[in-house]
Amino acid sequence: MKSKGGSSTLSKSITICSLGPLDDMITEHVAGHISNRCGLQYKISSRMDSPKYAFDEKRGQYNSKLILKRLTELSHNSLKFLAITQVDLFVPILKYVFGLAQVGGQCSIISTYRLRAQFYGHEPNQDLLMDRMGKTALHELGHSLGLTHCRDRRCVMYSSTNIADTDFKRSDFCPTCFELFRWQLENCGIRIKPRMPQF
Amino acid sequence: MARALRAESMKIVPPGKKKCVWMEAGVVSYKLCDNNYDCPTCVYDHAMQTKVARQKESMEMKPVGAPPEKFTATWVEKMMMLPASGRKCRYMITGEIGRKICPSAYECGTCSFDRMMQQRLQAEPLPVETPTQVAGFELADGFYYHEGHTWARPEYGGRVRVGLDDFAQRLLGKLSQIEMPNIGHELKQGEAGFSVKRNGETARVLSPIDGIVSRVNEKLLDHPELMNSSPYQDGWFAIIEPTKLRKNLKDLYYGEEAHTFTSDERERLFSMANDDLNIAADGGVSVEDISGELEEKEWGKLVKAFLRSK
Ligand SMILES: [Zn+2]
Ligand SMILES: [Zn+2]
Repeated sequence: MKSKGGSSTLSKSITICSLGPLDDMITEHVAGHISNRCGLQYKISSRMDSPKYAFDEKRGQYNSKLILKRLTELSHNSLKFLAITQVDLFVPILKYVFGLAQVGGQCSIISTYRLRAQFYGHEPNQDLLMDRMGKTALHELGHSLGLTHCRDRRCVMYSSTNIADTDFKRSDFCPTCFELFRWQLENCGIRIKPRMPQF
Repeated sequence: MARALRAESMKIVPPGKKKCVWMEAGVVSYKLCDNNYDCPTCVYDHAMQTKVARQKESMEMKPVGAPPEKFTATWVEKMMMLPASGRKCRYMITGEIGRKICPSAYECGTCSFDRMMQQRLQAEPLPVETPTQVAGFELADGFYYHEGHTWARPEYGGRVRVGLDDFAQRLLGKLSQIEMPNIGHELKQGEAGFSVKRNGETARVLSPIDGIVSRVNEKLLDHPELMNSSPYQDGWFAIIEPTKLRKNLKDLYYGEEAHTFTSDERERLFSMANDDLNIAADGGVSVEDISGELEEKEWGKLVKAFLRSK
């Protein structure tokens, strides 16, 4: 287990964990991105098993709600827990999801599956994948801290229906969402800089 | 308001809007049609006709000097001043047909071509441009939406076509039957006008406007699935002779408002569908048959919550 950021206790950090095989670079990028955007400390925990239990025969996809339920049953010694997987996720009534989170809960999950350029028939593009992962992770973390969807298309809390929405939005909270995000963190005893990243 | 002013100063006709015949004829510099080219019932047309008549009177009294105002001819008179090849038919102005020159003096009321167009336009729904994707649902542009997920589309002669939106279509899923009101039946905005059935359960559908039913889509009686495959075109429900159109349209969602309404409804539906866990999903077009996937939820209850009927 790696950790970064010094004195703060584990319970004030974000745990990032892969479900099944995943390129370490991705996990580290997401961790770095979150820490960079909001000054939160993180730890990367050891890999968990692939979520085979959530596979849906009819859909040929993994039910993200079942995974989230399973994650919430485990105890995590951290403020928030973000799982990353390579498998294709769905949730009842939607054809697919990039990520899913409990609003104001501890756990969230994101998938690389539909964030890869290859999924859309394009050449692999590592920078693009990292950009999309960063946005999706920050979005789910926002939900975990109690934020709901934002109407500003440029805000990271805008609900992405498709990948074009994700590519359009910025990797930052709009001023309103940022204030909310900061306030929620303060309630958890965490102070971050009142800086508004270039929005 | 600011947008309207800007459009006016630049004389741009926004997409989906159409020039008033008074603008087309060059009598006024900017005016969009807000009455579906139904000039006989148009307040603006009446006011302009009166204005022109008054202007003519005053000119007769003082025949010398330049006219103080330019409203000295009606739009028909202005159009008739053009060479014959410039006298566009009103269906050409609205873009319904490619090229058609008015053979008479814009006496649409007695024009056989006009009558044919009226009948054709009533029988067949107007083609819909590629709908906009909003929060995983399709919205047809230029349509007015009721909060009970029905739409209203003003057409020629002041009639209004109505139907169900894509959100409702996906929520209702495969229907076994659609029940239509009789022709001549009076509908009220926000009150039940139609009903739909699935697996022995019935849900009522609210009318988006006030008016008299003048035609129903009989194809739906045998093929309710048209409502699923083409909610904005072949799956239309009825044509209404509106009785309070202007007032009714103000109470419907249009453009950006319709987008916001749909996003909000999507959030509401998602939280209702997943009320066991307070979750938020990032991504995803909705599945084709929402209630089919929510078997454990009661169809009638779910549908009533969104069609807003009792
Ligand atoms: Zn925001
Ligand atoms: Zn979200």
